Amino acid sequence: MVHAEDIQSALHKIPWFNELTPEHFQKTSELAHLRHAKAGETFFREGDTQDYVYIVLEGRVSLDIFVPHHGKVRFCTAEPYDVFGWSSVTPGIRQRTAGAVAVLDCTVACLDAEKLRQLAEKDHDFGYLLMRRLANVVASRLMVTRLQLIDMFAEPTETLND
Amino acid sequence: MTDKSLIIGSTVALPKPELDLLMADLRKNGFQTVGPHVQDESIVYTIINGLKDLPRGILSEQKPASYRMILTGKDRYFDFIPAGQSWKQFLFPPRHTLFTVVKDGKWQLKENDEPTPRYALIGVRACELAAIHIQDKVFLREDFSDPGYRLRREGLFILAVNCLDPDSTCFCASMGTGPRLGAGFDLCVTELDEVFLVEVGSELGRSLLGDRNYDLPSAFIQNTANQAMERAAESFVRTMDTRDLPGLLTGQLEAERWTEVGKRCLSCANCTQVCPTCFCWNATDQVDILGKSTRRERVWDSCFNPNYSYVVGGNTRPNIRSRYRQWLTHKLGAWKEQFDVLGCVGCGRCITWCPAGIDLTEEVAAIRAEVKA
Amino acid sequence: MTTTLINTSAHSAGYTDKLLLPHWAEIVKIIPEAEGVTTLIFKFTDSEVQERYRFEPGQFNMLYIPNYGEAAISMSSDLESANGLLVHTIRHIGNVTRAASRLKVGDVVGIRGPFGTSWPLNTIEGMDVVIACGGIGLPPLRGAIQRIIRNREKFGKVLLLYGARTPKDLIYPTEYEPWQKAGIEMQVTVDRGDENWTGRVGVVPMWFYNFKVDPHKTAVLTCGPEIMMRFVIFEALARRIPSTHIYVSLERNMKCGQGACGHCQQGPFFICKDGPVFPFSALENIFNVEEY
Repeated sequence: MVHAEDIQSALHKIPWFNELTPEHFQKTSELAHLRHAKAGETFFREGDTQDYVYIVLEGRVSLDIFVPHHGKVRFCTAEPYDVFGWSSVTPGIRQRTAGAVAVLDCTVACLDAEKLRQLAEKDHDFGYLLMRRLANVVASRLMVTRLQLIDMFAEPTETLND
Repeated sequence: MTDKSLIIGSTVALPKPELDLLMADLRKNGFQTVGPHVQDESIVYTIINGLKDLPRGILSEQKPASYRMILTGKDRYFDFIPAGQSWKQFLFPPRHTLFTVVKDGKWQLKENDEPTPRYALIGVRACELAAIHIQDKVFLREDFSDPGYRLRREGLFILAVNCLDPDSTCFCASMGTGPRLGAGFDLCVTELDEVFLVEVGSELGRSLLGDRNYDLPSAFIQNTANQAMERAAESFVRTMDTRDLPGLLTGQLEAERWTEVGKRCLSCANCTQVCPTCFCWNATDQVDILGKSTRRERVWDSCFNPNYSYVVGGNTRPNIRSRYRQWLTHKLGAWKEQFDVLGCVGCGRCITWCPAGIDLTEEVAAIRAEVKA
Repeated sequence: MTTTLINTSAHSAGYTDKLLLPHWAEIVKIIPEAEGVTTLIFKFTDSEVQERYRFEPGQFNMLYIPNYGEAAISMSSDLESANGLLVHTIRHIGNVTRAASRLKVGDVVGIRGPFGTSWPLNTIEGMDVVIACGGIGLPPLRGAIQRIIRNREKFGKVLLLYGARTPKDLIYPTEYEPWQKAGIEMQVTVDRGDENWTGRVGVVPMWFYNFKVDPHKTAVLTCGPEIMMRFVIFEALARRIPSTHIYVSLERNMKCGQGACGHCQQGPFFICKDGPVFPFSALENIFNVEEY
């Protein structure tokens, strides 16, 4: 069993958590636990119900989608202090649209998504901070996705025979 | 008058037929005399042998997209304003072999060893001389010099002519390049009805003129010439406001006007061909049919060519708007930073020879107006 | 009759009026790198030219294949690493470079160069260095990386961020470990990975979110697709790194290599002569103007 002090000291390493009031920090740490995963372990698969939102503390987690004829395409990785599985906290689809697997040995903080949502509904001050943080996570992820979409290293379709 | 009485700066009155003899002397000294000649319903620069080849009694009338020759019947040879060609074709030929490679087992390189022609340019106007000086800055630099240009330039003889009848498209006065000639010529001619008033500009000019039959110019002749030049200087109808010209254009890269002119411009590249300072070129391999030898040729190019700025993956200037903007912001802007002088001499050729009649003085004025608005 | 002797780093031409004439160089080695990318190693056939030829990382040569034409190719190593030989990593994408892919060891091509400005390694001594590159943008920086390793003690922290489209497009993968052992921290990222890829999937500019820089003593060297460089610059400026400390390498259509044919101009600059390496401070007014 992970001791409360362990999870709390782990969360203190993450910058956002240090912006919370002591009360909010306490409540959040109560719905969080640490997980140590070996390389190759799965966190969730496409289609799973969304139960946790995750923050990487050590290691690397990769998100993938299975594309017929292409196999599993890894389209994103989460590094230390990156959030993944955030869609479980934002309103909307309740099934995972991608899979998450550890590619290196990892330590990950897992936050109970349902309880986090409830906390945000009851306490709007906390809810605002949470959503603000998530907005930043999603925004930066969107920016990366856009650059991936532009496919800047792709072979050009037209070349000039000079 | 003896030879000794002429010095650099001397002015003489030369009877017009003497010019024929002067040109013959030039040819005896190994020069090819090239100058204006009526051809193809216009005036081109080509080999000429004497007065008979010059556009006698021709006055020109220009406006955007129009060049007309008017017959005056007068015994005058330089009343017209030059047409769509410039002297750059002689110093910087439209096609020029850089080198040849021959496969003889392995590749061998052969530099261009064609003899360099010595040109005597007959009838260079002030704007054109200014353009030659500007191209000197491009092709004769400390860190790079074009051997073909250098040899042609070193062997050049310039007989310049003062313009007395600027056309409506001329604006050399605004650009500070004319109408009166500055320095850089071997001989400079101001034409009067009866004689040529000739000024000596160099030692070569002095010695050639010294063999001719000339008189000291009378006060009347001097006055007539001066009055003609003053009239010329006051007769410009087109102006270009050059105040802060690089800054204005480079600060207005997103002006509405570019989109507007981009709709009119055909990207035909006429302006760059007739412009006496435009210097862009391309180099291509001309392969012989058996593939055993290749000639690397330098040809004139233009920033209006659609593939001029092609890089792998696309074209950095894919539309006419961006290409016109490049041309104008380079000519009247970036040029100054690159070569310490604006790239436009105010000859007005681009206005006359643009099939869409685009007038760069009007474009600049419109952009200025956008800033004020 | 020849004019000025070239007084900069010894040029293959020797004289300022011979700059348009190529010198013959023989291919001594060919190394396939990734799909569509090969490294060719050349030696001038004239030993005197080979002897005096010098260049700095960041510069480029004009590679001439008779019957096809010329292409501008960056130096892909520094002078010492290749014992003075010319190393060029080429992406076979255009007419000339595709012809280059058909060359064999022993074939002879023409080379003119070196041209352009180089990575300002002397200026950034004592600083932390972030090298951000992607795709075919790594070869022009490899010479700088090698030079930094050779003088490692003269620089602070050195971080190399390298991105490619997929794992099989990564160039020089065997050198990553030696570079890291030599004191270069390296992070590799791909746009998309497969099941076997355990590295990062993402884009190079985003790496700035994962580490802290001291804006007063960090220099950024970046080379790659212009859109990648644009975002690297954006992230660097957002972290208050002065634009005078951000160096980019630009690419344009090049024909002559010396600011005489006009093709490579952007604004007042001839990319071949005033660049290809620029401090971003020089480009601030023109870099983001569309279609300029």
